Amino acid sequence: MSVLSVEGLSVSYRVLGGRLQAVRDVTLAVGRGEVLGIMGESGCGKSTLAAAMIGLLPQGAEVAAGAIRLNGTDMLRLSGEEKRRLRGQRIAMVFQDPMTAFNPVLTIGRQLADFAGAHGGVKGAAEIAGMLERVGIPDPGRCLRRYPHELSGGMRQRVAIAAALLVRPDVLIADEPTTALDVTMEAQIIHLLRDLRSSFDGAIVVVTHHLGVIAELCDRVAVMYAGEVVEEAGVDALFRDPRHPYTRALLSCDPAVVMPGSGHLPTIGGRIPDLMALPAGCAFAARCGMAEAGCAAPVPRHQEAGRSVLCHRSAA
Amino acid sequence: MSAVLDLARVSVALPLGGFLSRARLPILMDVSLSVGRGESVALVGESGSGKTTLARAVMGLQAVSGGSIALDGQAVEGAAGHARLRRAAAMMFQDATASLSPRLTVGYLVTEPFRIHGVALPDPEGMARELLAKVGLPPAMARRYPHELSGGQARRVGVARALALKPRLVIADEPTAGLDVSVQAEVLNLMADLRAEMGLAYLIITHNLALVRHVADRVVVLYLGRVVEKGPTAQVFAAPAHPYTASLIAAEPRPDPRQRRMDLAIRGEVPSVLRRPSGCEFHTRCPMAREVCRVTAPDLAPVGAGRQARCHFADQRKDQQGEQHAVEHR
Repeated sequence: MSVLSVEGLSVSYRVLGGRLQAVRDVTLAVGRGEVLGIMGESGCGKSTLAAAMIGLLPQGAEVAAGAIRLNGTDMLRLSGEEKRRLRGQRIAMVFQDPMTAFNPVLTIGRQLADFAGAHGGVKGAAEIAGMLERVGIPDPGRCLRRYPHELSGGMRQRVAIAAALLVRPDVLIADEPTTALDVTMEAQIIHLLRDLRSSFDGAIVVVTHHLGVIAELCDRVAVMYAGEVVEEAGVDALFRDPRHPYTRALLSCDPAVVMPGSGHLPTIGGRIPDLMALPAGCAFAARCGMAEAGCAAPVPRHQEAGRSVLCHRSAA
Repeated sequence: MSAVLDLARVSVALPLGGFLSRARLPILMDVSLSVGRGESVALVGESGSGKTTLARAVMGLQAVSGGSIALDGQAVEGAAGHARLRRAAAMMFQDATASLSPRLTVGYLVTEPFRIHGVALPDPEGMARELLAKVGLPPAMARRYPHELSGGQARRVGVARALALKPRLVIADEPTAGLDVSVQAEVLNLMADLRAEMGLAYLIITHNLALVRHVADRVVVLYLGRVVEKGPTAQVFAAPAHPYTASLIAAEPRPDPRQRRMDLAIRGEVPSVLRRPSGCEFHTRCPMAREVCRVTAPDLAPVGAGRQARCHFADQRKDQQGEQHAVEHR
């Protein structure tokens, strides 16, 4: 059974001159021991989706439809207080920049103790140190006495992951967890998250625009475009046999994929559509090499063994 | 013909602080590199390797404690020398949006270098249009403010601004950091086009190895402020001579789930410059360190034509890789 499921979720922002549809009819599920990747470019709605999952939608955001179920409970119907409790105990988040996640004037030890105390039972220093050791901090005792600025970016991200895991969440959401790090640290954090997947028995959701991170870490992938999940598949199927033209375009223009010396890199022409005036049909049609007249009609979701594709021409 | 930029044994040391203390902390040590006309050289290494300090030293934003910098074969010395260099070289900053003043229009921003350097600008609007066209932005963009731009557009404005005075050298600090892959590809294509059109030379500072592979003719790898390997990009990537270079390449996440790395290519972090390891400074993280590495510091020595590496065993490894290569192609 899935730990976290998103059902037909639509989120819009009230902005000057109308409503901006950031997330449109998204349905996703993630189970225990599974890593779900949410991939897409800036402005495709992945961060709004992550914020909705942890109940931290900004002011001005409105959930127009749908449900987000954590172990079967619809989080959208809970009061603020209930939501806060759930957020601490059952669902935790790791952010892109771990510096902003910590209070700069308190030691790491003090903050982790406060954090663990606030969310379900005071934990002893030994347990906190144990968690730091588990995420690969070499000298946990010393780390607890330090201030956030005294740690490197990679170490801060490890501490942030330890803080999230201290509450033993069912779901860990990581928003661009390696974007601010060097490639060597990135590899180590990926390694750590992969390790945790098997040992912590929760679900992990990774939001990133980095295709390499998705390929290295995730089991299933949801590709977002203009607020919709345009393709969802197992990671191997997605990278080996992408079905949606947007997924194909994205995979083919990654400089890490293209052979050097092959001249110009492929790009995706055009821009993402205006999220305040979306077309009735396929949102990618204007940039799609396969588009034809029929693409202006509403798009059916094409489902088959373990994958779904939002494209008129997915059978083509 | 002399190189556009030539660094000879450049060192930077910062005062350690402390009243009456003369102690200085070495950040960069004996870095030599040159960038030829129209050539693209990448400087790679982790945070703390001294990449950015080197760029700052070149631009005269950081005093050097040793070595020399030459532009077109002429030594860059003092304020006048750096003024000459800043006129011939332009910098592309990492955070494109933050490098643009929020209260000025794009049109003003791209022509600002003329004002800064006191160069006559008879037709600012025409020049702004021309510069924007060069980086593929519509003329209407000139009236916009930085906050109205997307990340890719801001990066293009940064490029337009860098190109304003027709530089011969562009120093680009992480030109693709934080950009989506499709926009990264656009920026790389733009850089390649401008190089072909204007004969620009690039010194690219990055830890994005995919970028290095695509745009750099040669690569220089820094570790703790020292060059540990340099050579032609294709050769260095095909058969790295230094274990640090090999680990960086192996650590790069590959967009192919069937090629997942289950072991870690490199453990630990860059040691602090306050406590440099003895012997070879990479030995604390090196998978193949031996006793000699803990004791004796290796020199930067030639390994084949146009290549150098700072490793006691670089020659052996290169021979092994050569054999493997021969076996694979038999």
